[in-house]
Amino acid sequence: MKRLSLIFTQTANSSGRATNPTIPLGCRTNPPGAASGFTTQGVTVETAQPHAGVHIENVSKSFGPDGARTLVLNQVSLSIKMGEFVSVIGPSGCGKSTLLKTVAGLIDADSGTVMVDGMTVKAATKNKMIGLVPQSPALLPWRTVLDNVRLPMTVNPKANANRNLRDPREILESFGLGAALDKYPGQLSGGMQQRVAIARAFVFDPSVLLMDEPFSALDEMNRDAQRLGLLDFWQSNRKAVMFVTHSVPEAIMLSDRIVVMGAHPGHIAEIIDVPLPRPRTIDVYATDEFRDLEGQVRGTLREVMGQKSA
Amino acid sequence: MSTTDTSALAVQAATSATGRRFSPLASAKFKQNLRWSNWAPAVITFVIAAALWQITAIANPYVIPTIDQVWVSLINDADTYWANMLVTGLEVLVGASSGIIAGFILAIIMAEFQVMERAVMPLVVVVMVTPIVAIAPALVVAFGFGMTPKFIVTALVVFFPMLVNSLAGLRDVDDRALDVMKTLHASRWEIFRDLRFTGSMPYVFAGLRIALPLAIVGAAVAEFVAAGQQAGLGSLVTIAAAQANLPVTWASITLLCFMGVVLISLLALVRKRVLWWSDGAAVGR
Ligand SMILES: Nc1ncnc2c1ncn2[C@@H]1O[C@H](COP(=O)(O)OP(=O)(O)OP(=O)(O)O)[C@@H](O)[C@H]1O
Ligand SMILES: [Mg+2]
Repeated sequence: MKRLSLIFTQTANSSGRATNPTIPLGCRTNPPGAASGFTTQGVTVETAQPHAGVHIENVSKSFGPDGARTLVLNQVSLSIKMGEFVSVIGPSGCGKSTLLKTVAGLIDADSGTVMVDGMTVKAATKNKMIGLVPQSPALLPWRTVLDNVRLPMTVNPKANANRNLRDPREILESFGLGAALDKYPGQLSGGMQQRVAIARAFVFDPSVLLMDEPFSALDEMNRDAQRLGLLDFWQSNRKAVMFVTHSVPEAIMLSDRIVVMGAHPGHIAEIIDVPLPRPRTIDVYATDEFRDLEGQVRGTLREVMGQKSA
Repeated sequence: MSTTDTSALAVQAATSATGRRFSPLASAKFKQNLRWSNWAPAVITFVIAAALWQITAIANPYVIPTIDQVWVSLINDADTYWANMLVTGLEVLVGASSGIIAGFILAIIMAEFQVMERAVMPLVVVVMVTPIVAIAPALVVAFGFGMTPKFIVTALVVFFPMLVNSLAGLRDVDDRALDVMKTLHASRWEIFRDLRFTGSMPYVFAGLRIALPLAIVGAAVAEFVAAGQQAGLGSLVTIAAAQANLPVTWASITLLCFMGVVLISLLALVRKRVLWWSDGAAVGR
């Protein structure tokens, strides 16, 4: 497994540089997330499609000093296809954020591999293929909304080549923030700030979107509006999404699949399919299928929590 | 007369340092500040203190001068005081700015390279715990009675609070914003440019708040031990005190105090312009 990841790093590195004149045009980096699918350059192009998305295999991670290490993730395997929306739900402290940070390249796993579009996480971040929406908006208070959303373009500009950069104005307008372009984060409500943070993650057209409880600080009415807005936007820009949440209805509303995690140590207890048709509206909440799914997810969660206390 | 000159100077410096634009919020705040409940308590305290001072001075004519004696001295010898204040002002200006810049730059180096902190911080601490009053005469021996030792003492005094505060500010970044930068594979320079530099400013200004009054202390102390041909308000204090000339002593002290007030007020003005984003609460930091 280790060696495999090494090979992938090398191919990604040697061909990821779009300016490299020795690479024939046909093998150049396609914009990540382009509709036709990402071509893993250097590797055979026909079989590139299966690599698209996120592949987590046997990832384990423990924290703490030697001798007193606690296992936080135990052999976690999960694949998120291109254009798939996957929610991760589970009791507090079960390792959801840790898993997300491993995919984001912020934490190195002790063992196992994480691949994004057939590249190691390191190569993927180098190519700016991962968009992160943290739990708080984490906007820069001294920059206007527009300049906050521009930030990902100005950072690591080498990775901008051959990429479908979006117009920050346009994206903000489609998020209902057209009037707030020149405002500062401190002048916005929490919900608006969170939308700016999401726009910031979408604007450079990454192929994978990671969100860690982005709506958890909002009140229920606001959350519903934000969910629908996110869904709407994602529908027209299908990314692979990993969405951490504590809310069962939210997970059902948004996802194609729901990953239920258990704790001590963190593991995947069950993966539940959400076959509700898209596009979804608030009416989904009232359907029988929704209620059945809610019962199923809550049941699994209860089981998981029960294990803990037993 | 000289007083009005300086305040005119101060206003000019303030406007040039802070730029032109006035925020609409500022005028509302200004009106709020005008409400008597804001300024009256302080004024009452000052009036009581002045009255107590005056009573004590009249009862003990050889201990402290009366306020009107100090005032008369200030008016009669305005030119002398002005010249001496310029000398001390120059020492503060040159010493403080070099200490501030040096402290901030070293903080950046230490924040970016932890080895540098481990290597240099112990030395810095050793220098800083050495009493500045003891260092000053040694510097006079080394550099003579000119301005150089005064610049050095002032810079030294300013350096430490700037270094410590800037370092804390450069380290205290929003972890989640840092996460966003890291997933973008931001370089260290980009993280410094977009995140750390501006993010450190609240701490930098807290450091300045401590450092600027200290700069005046540094300049005065340096003048005490090296009352050379360059004079300055600190030298004036020592010379006048030695001659038991109470009005001159206290007039000089008053002017030192006045310089401190001007510096702190300027700083507050600049701070408002630079850190407008830091005081508004709900930003998600
Ligand atoms: N850097 C770290 N050092 C030590 N322990 C850590 C670290 N990060 C996380 N942990 C531990 O790992 C466990 C999982 O943390 P994690 O933040 O991934 O949980 P979570 O599922 O996201 O919880 P929540 O739902 O409350 O956000 C927790 O017990 C936490 O204390
Ligand atoms: Mg978490």
